[in-house]
Amino acid sequence: MTKPTTEVLIDAREVSKVYPNGTQALTNVSLQVRRGEVVCIVGPSGSGKSTLLRTLNAMESITSGEVIMDGLNVHAPKTNLNEVRTHAGMVFQQFNLFPHKTALENVMLAPMQVLKHTLDTARANAEKLLAKVGLAEKAQSRPSQLSGGQQQRVAIARALAMQPRVMLFDEPTSALDPEKVGEVLEVMKQLALEGMTMVVVTHEMGFARAVANRVVFMDGGELVYQDAPEAFFSNAQHERLRSFLGQVLPH
Amino acid sequence: MRPENPAWRLLTVALVLLIGAGLYWATIKVNYQWRWDRVPEYLLMTGGEEVLSPVDGTVAVSGKQIILTPLLGGEPQTFPQIDVVQVSDGEIVFANNTLGKKAGVTPGPLLVGLWVTLQISAWSLVFALVLGLIAGLGRVSANPAARDMAAIYVELIRGTPLLVQMFIVYFFLGTVLNLSGFVAGVAALSVFTGAYVAEIVRSGIEGVSKGQMEAARSLGMSHWQAMRHVVLPQALKRSLPALAGQSINLVKDSSLVSIMALTDLTKAGREIVASTFSPFEVWFTVALMYLVLTGALSVFVRRLEKKMAHD
Repeated sequence: MTKPTTEVLIDAREVSKVYPNGTQALTNVSLQVRRGEVVCIVGPSGSGKSTLLRTLNAMESITSGEVIMDGLNVHAPKTNLNEVRTHAGMVFQQFNLFPHKTALENVMLAPMQVLKHTLDTARANAEKLLAKVGLAEKAQSRPSQLSGGQQQRVAIARALAMQPRVMLFDEPTSALDPEKVGEVLEVMKQLALEGMTMVVVTHEMGFARAVANRVVFMDGGELVYQDAPEAFFSNAQHERLRSFLGQVLPH
Repeated sequence: MRPENPAWRLLTVALVLLIGAGLYWATIKVNYQWRWDRVPEYLLMTGGEEVLSPVDGTVAVSGKQIILTPLLGGEPQTFPQIDVVQVSDGEIVFANNTLGKKAGVTPGPLLVGLWVTLQISAWSLVFALVLGLIAGLGRVSANPAARDMAAIYVELIRGTPLLVQMFIVYFFLGTVLNLSGFVAGVAALSVFTGAYVAEIVRSGIEGVSKGQMEAARSLGMSHWQAMRHVVLPQALKRSLPALAGQSINLVKDSSLVSIMALTDLTKAGREIVASTFSPFEVWFTVALMYLVLTGALSVFVRRLEKKMAHD
């Protein structure tokens, strides 16, 4: 694993989010992610971990606090959200591939539309990325012809095509059949080894333990505890974390 | 599933025959004279096309060709291929006198009317799709003004009868803007159908999973880019069967343009009935012609649906 730098790439400060109906989704969450770091966010469902992830690229608005990504104040009214999002690739639980386009076209679309790449550049790039996730031979397949694991790998290639500074993963393996989880985690591990900055919301404790530089535990909309994986999993001091780990880890 | 008993189909045939017989019996009761033999001439005229003299002049006949020299001077005009010459050489004719007839089959008023109906429907469909797409996008827009305008348009149009809209367009707008019947008809039908297309487009867009817009936006695409390249193609594909159904409605609704000075299929039927007093035959024929149009469209729709189910 490459060592993360000390440079802070994402700085979320005192982020809170209250839904219009009064539900408090996030309460004063502060999280720093350094360039090259892999941060895994774990926690029970409804703990706000996906919400936190989605505030980082403004897919979700916030009520108070701020998020600074690479010098850009993400939630400031004048910020160009499209620019912020080109810097942060996002991978969704449900893949969300564009079903009317082939795998190759899925990867090519945004670079051509947003970065104004030419068809040839975009195609060459997309072919390279599909090869990288092990799907060179599926370039002409439609999402409906691909397995869940293959679709998620195309989705990763699609996000990478924008040459993002950080990759945000929102439970990337939760919708997969158990036997397809490994191939996706393998691609993610490879990315981590190449030094990609990654924030991963996941239930895969094995992945968090093996790949993360830091594991963050959220519960009830609060960031409860964060530590390096060995410390996180071995000497959990915190009551809520202990009970969570007791439920998810094999005994 | 259990196999169907073919007897039910026999029952269907029997019931249809029974209804037909009832209708026939009813016409006998009112002493109706069936004259189906007169219908074909309104579809295709075999009598040939009359050639009229445009001006006063002297004719010279040579074989099937007539040369007309205008009395008031000017270039002689040549009329070739007059199969039945009805003037003699050297005769003086006046404007609108018959010179002769060209043999051959020409479309009768019903076919001409069908053609007008087809043209009105086609033009209206094009404009309705454009209008409906814009209004449909307005319905799902983030901009409140666009949303409100689209909602007002859809509610106004869907809440009032097409016939009343036709009257308004023809007698009010048509007079103010000096529109021809055809333009007024196409305008009224487009605006009317556009409102329904807007709702189809809106529900198509809402039927595309939210994740599609999210994924596109997360890649840095603008709302419009995401709409144009990701959401709309999927929404329109979903909407195709409903849109095709709406275009069938459009063909039928076009019969209302007959209130304007426009001889579509329905108006042609009315004119023939007025001169022949054979309403049953004519209206049955007109109905059958609409049925052929809409039937062809629905066969096309069913093919489309089948094809899309495979995609």
